[in-house]
Amino acid sequence: MITLEHYIVLSTILFAIGMYGVVVRKNLLMLFFSTEIMLNAVNIALAAISNHYGDLTGQMFAFFIIAIAASEVAIGLGLLIIWYKRHGSIDLETLQSMKG
Amino acid sequence: MLEAVNISFESLNMATLTPMLVAIVGALAILTIDLFKEEMDKTLYIVLTILFLVADLSTVLGQTMGERGFFDVMLIDGLAILAQIVLLIGSIIFIPLAFSSQRFHEYRYPEFFALFLFMTAGFQFMVATDNLILIFVGLETASLALYTLIVLHNKDKSFEAAIKYFTMGALAAGFFAFSGMIFYGLTGSVELFKIFEVLEARNFEPMILILTASVFMLASFGFKMAIVPFHTWGPDVYEGSSAALAGYISIVPKVAAFVVIMRIFEGLIASGIVWIEYIFYAIVVLTMTLANIWALVQKDVKRMLAYSSISHAGFVMAAIMIGTTQANSAIFVYWILFSFTNLGAFAMLWVSHKKDSNYHERFDHPFEKFSGMVKMSPLSAVLMGLFMLTLAGIPPFSIFWGKLYLVSSAVNAGYLVLAVIMVLNSAIAAYYYAKLIVYMFMKEPETGVDGSVYMMNASISLKVMLGIAAFFTALSIFIVNPVLELSDFFIYSSGF
Repeated sequence: MITLEHYIVLSTILFAIGMYGVVVRKNLLMLFFSTEIMLNAVNIALAAISNHYGDLTGQMFAFFIIAIAASEVAIGLGLLIIWYKRHGSIDLETLQSMKG
Repeated sequence: MLEAVNISFESLNMATLTPMLVAIVGALAILTIDLFKEEMDKTLYIVLTILFLVADLSTVLGQTMGERGFFDVMLIDGLAILAQIVLLIGSIIFIPLAFSSQRFHEYRYPEFFALFLFMTAGFQFMVATDNLILIFVGLETASLALYTLIVLHNKDKSFEAAIKYFTMGALAAGFFAFSGMIFYGLTGSVELFKIFEVLEARNFEPMILILTASVFMLASFGFKMAIVPFHTWGPDVYEGSSAALAGYISIVPKVAAFVVIMRIFEGLIASGIVWIEYIFYAIVVLTMTLANIWALVQKDVKRMLAYSSISHAGFVMAAIMIGTTQANSAIFVYWILFSFTNLGAFAMLWVSHKKDSNYHERFDHPFEKFSGMVKMSPLSAVLMGLFMLTLAGIPPFSIFWGKLYLVSSAVNAGYLVLAVIMVLNSAIAAYYYAKLIVYMFMKEPETGVDGSVYMMNASISLKVMLGIAAFFTALSIFIVNPVLELSDFFIYSSGF
């Protein structure tokens, strides 16, 4: 029997994986993937909680998060493409002209 | 067959939504004009943007307090109205800075102005609701537009700045969603008043989950406001974006974030979970002190101002922690006074902006650029000196009154140690502002530099904006009282 707890534990694990990815990844594309994993982890939990309460708000929240994640990707990939064109790399190390 | 859903138009209470609609319609109008006739002069778009923002402001002023609308998602209370007024005035005084005498890449595009209006609408949605979903949508609308505005500056540094800001923003969005999910899971609602009702009825149990949600929420808005330890993107973004936009980033987005933080944390700090208050205390003290120490060692005036605005944000965060009505009112007094001064300081950098500057291999505004400024351009040196003295909190200029009011609210609420730390920090801060004044008034000019550079980018409207900023800064002794009464009235009537 899969209960609410299972979904929440799954969501938390995925969120932690995403957060770990943000911390360790040096490739910007992978870093953006990690933030997407974080948002989608939350979506799983929201849908499960929404079903648990028998209330649609959580699923609405999840839909809004999907839409926002999509627009974030649009901007983020746009930025990455420009950066790749100018520097030929999307490594985090290339983003270090400003420091201190 | 399903019944058609009928919703009467009156029940939507569109009056709560009009201000944002004005801004959005304005943005769409600008895009449409560009579709029909390309290559219009930027003047048209600047004037249109200002007109729509003024119309927006007048609809805000016409709103009545205590209304809800759009399926009870919108909430217009005193806080929302006051915050929208501050946001819109900040935006209105930012846009004329586009009338620079040099031509810049970003203002050639009508999209710049459309995105600017979308961003304003996003901030307005953020402050005029207590629904976590709408706060999230407004926050992201505004942030995504802001990343794009930074990029439009089209220099290598601005791309780097935007990517850094974007990465941090995406992480913050994840944190916000996670925290909202925990609140929803605990209470079955995403509306803040309902969340607090349920939590109070349950006596704020289970504590560990509420604490986790609060920490994630604080981290999320910490990223947005550049609070230590989430500030790392801040100075880089200020350096990478144009001086005008950097001034904007240091004022308006933070107001919106402060209002949301106030709505969320007022209840949580009063909840009796001491850890939330401890965490807040630590963050406030760290933000004020560390940002000041970093500002001391900066070699670039713009980066110094970036760290200084982080430190000022820490000051204002202290008021949220104190949480009395006086403190909440002080937030707005402080921020209104701060926005005029900071606008003036960044506008001074903006008028001295020169394409392909060669002062320094990396910085656009190193301290050396300003050395001996008084000998070559006395008026601009005096103006810059005025803004620096004000930022340092020297009486009788504007920020002094904000600081006074804030510290007195800390004392009244019994936070004596905090008040002492705040005063000490003001003293440290005075040092790095004085450093620029020493450069301007006491050093010899560098050879090969003539005075024209300080007004390189100036035009009539930029000078007018500088005059307005200087006026409100120098004569703030006369405007402090009305501002105080205004913010007291709005804060008191919305019960914070």
